[in-house]
Amino acid sequence: MKKEKTLLQEFVKGIDEINPVMKQALGLCPTLAVTVSAINGIAMALATTFVLMFSSLMISIIRKLIPSQVRIASYIVIIATFVTIADLVMKAKFPAMSKALGPFVPLIVVNCLILGRAEAFASKNNPLKALFDALGNGAGFLIVLFIMGSIRELFGSRTILGFHILPHSFEPMLIMILPAGAFITLGLLMGFKNAYTERVKRKEREDIVKNYRAVSKLESTNQGL
Amino acid sequence: METITTNPSYKLELSSSPHIHSRWSTKHAMWFVVSALLPSVISAVIFFGIYQLIVIGVSVLFSIITEAAIKKIRKKEITVTDGSAVITGLLLGLVLPPNFSLSATALGAIFSIAVGKEIFGGLGYNIFNPALVGRAFLQAAYPVSMTTWKNPNYAVDTVTSATPLSAFKFDKIFTQTENLFLGNVSGSIGETSAIAILIGGIFLVAIGIVNYRIPLSIILGVVIFGGIFWIIDPYKYPSPLFQLLAGGFLFGTFFMATDWVTSPITSKGMWIYGFCISLIIIMIRLFGGLPEGVMYAILIMNSVVPLINRYTRSRIFGERR
Amino acid sequence: MKIVIRMILTLTIIGVVAGGFLANVAQWANPLIEANKKAETEKAIFLVQPDGKSYQQIKNTNFEIYKVFGENNELVGYSIAHEGNGFQGKIRLMVGVSSDLNKIKQLEILDQVETPGLGTLILEPPFRKQFSDLSTDPKVNLVKGVEPSKPNEIQSITGATISSKAVVEIINKGIEKARILKERGAL
Repeated sequence: MKKEKTLLQEFVKGIDEINPVMKQALGLCPTLAVTVSAINGIAMALATTFVLMFSSLMISIIRKLIPSQVRIASYIVIIATFVTIADLVMKAKFPAMSKALGPFVPLIVVNCLILGRAEAFASKNNPLKALFDALGNGAGFLIVLFIMGSIRELFGSRTILGFHILPHSFEPMLIMILPAGAFITLGLLMGFKNAYTERVKRKEREDIVKNYRAVSKLESTNQGL
Repeated sequence: METITTNPSYKLELSSSPHIHSRWSTKHAMWFVVSALLPSVISAVIFFGIYQLIVIGVSVLFSIITEAAIKKIRKKEITVTDGSAVITGLLLGLVLPPNFSLSATALGAIFSIAVGKEIFGGLGYNIFNPALVGRAFLQAAYPVSMTTWKNPNYAVDTVTSATPLSAFKFDKIFTQTENLFLGNVSGSIGETSAIAILIGGIFLVAIGIVNYRIPLSIILGVVIFGGIFWIIDPYKYPSPLFQLLAGGFLFGTFFMATDWVTSPITSKGMWIYGFCISLIIIMIRLFGGLPEGVMYAILIMNSVVPLINRYTRSRIFGERR
Repeated sequence: MKIVIRMILTLTIIGVVAGGFLANVAQWANPLIEANKKAETEKAIFLVQPDGKSYQQIKNTNFEIYKVFGENNELVGYSIAHEGNGFQGKIRLMVGVSSDLNKIKQLEILDQVETPGLGTLILEPPFRKQFSDLSTDPKVNLVKGVEPSKPNEIQSITGATISSKAVVEIINKGIEKARILKERGAL
């Protein structure tokens, strides 16, 4: 029997436990393509979160009305609507950012993260939960994109969010703002994250064994008495 | 029975094959490769100055330090004495352009060992030749300084410092064959001197550390594929001899493509591997945007080596296809 | 049968609602997007024609060319927007030429996807400045490694020969097209 999660847990799990990029490995295309600078990463993540939030909410509200045979088609139409809105708003109000992100805003339509959450979560849970799940996943996405963007911007152009961090004597490593740098950064990030998770898990296991041993020892001495 | 269990010298030893060991270990082979690279180091110093020795030294030093550090962090046995890190450092140092920055060299060496080798589990598990991974990284990270060449010390032509391949590709200027042979041309410090590479390479083939099939098939492939285009249009395409002597071809053929870990183990596989490398080299050199393609050709073929091994493995007698 | 009707109904309703909603958003956004685009083009036109005060697009051509007028409504030259293949993708640029098409005033790169730090040097002043007051008769020529000696020569960027060449070729083609128009009397 699965334990019912609280709203806060639904939110937090998106950041760590089922982080869209690190754990589910979803939405890799924008993760790799737009993270040449931290600000691009943030903008992309915010646009994605906007779409994710509203489409999850919408799908969750009408989940009982949609016949299961046409559910994917319905989801795509709903997602595409919000993506088009995001794209139009960005083009109208933030033309420079829209140009920097290029085709990746319209491509949110096929971002598997959004369809994945719609199919796996929003279509099975109530709107409030779906909203928090979407927010959590969006936050997880934002954090990873920001970290990726910062690392790549730092080594590729010496800045983070436009502020100069590294001295001028540091020659920028062009590879970091090329696609190859995105793959290397993401691979290393995932590797370190997994290594860390493994370590925590191993420690927990060792603690359990230690506790068990201590308890059983205590019991045996008690019996001896 | 009791004596066997109590006296360690009578302990029964259980081990899987191989049971017969060669008197040459990996360690010996690695140090032979290092000595085979010495002529190229000497030619680098002769043609590009004593500073190149420092670059090579930094590259070797940081390779060793990185390897030792990673082994230490991962709590594994420290195996730097097997010489593989030294070879990676030497190879990387020799394929860099003259007067390369020391900090970038160190970065390349760290990347070679850390990402090119240790991330896969260390020597024997790496997919790509670590030195070439490092060079590809530097090429992408610092494209300008990686293609800033310098004329050799005894240069005849002082106007341009373009490498023979880019001089041919972009300006249709031929370089004299004897200069190519000696190494008196601009290019990566260890790659220019054909004679120094041949001394080391033939030594390795002669003592059996390098299997003759790989260099032979690459050379034959370049002569055949390059020759076909040369016959079609000798003014547009360079002669096979030029293809053999120019750029990083010989160095790559003898020292990079023949890496034990990243080349096929079957004879048939070696021929396939060699011919494919030569085909990619010719394609990049004649039709690609870059003047030189040896590095990418070897890296591309490294990635399909497991596949080649799988499809060319010898079958058990009587086994059906 | 019932389920089929329900499927059709659901999709139709979703489609209609989404379409209606989008139409409203587009109605609000489109004028703004148009204005942004226009402002961008205008900025580029006057950037390459420093004396320009007003402009007029020449119609019925297969490329973008603008007549630029000065303070007293006299013709000061043309701004030509043209695109072509760079190293990795399209390069789109705007070039301002004198009214006889024989001199380049300024060059502005509008869109490019060249290699960062190498091909993108075409955006930097050292390269672009070379095009100021450059003669286009005979057509612009690219030289490598040596200082330009003729009025129609510019120096290529080291390590980015292909990008430099592409820019020169795009300019030459654009001006050539403008010349043909001029011969026909369409300018």
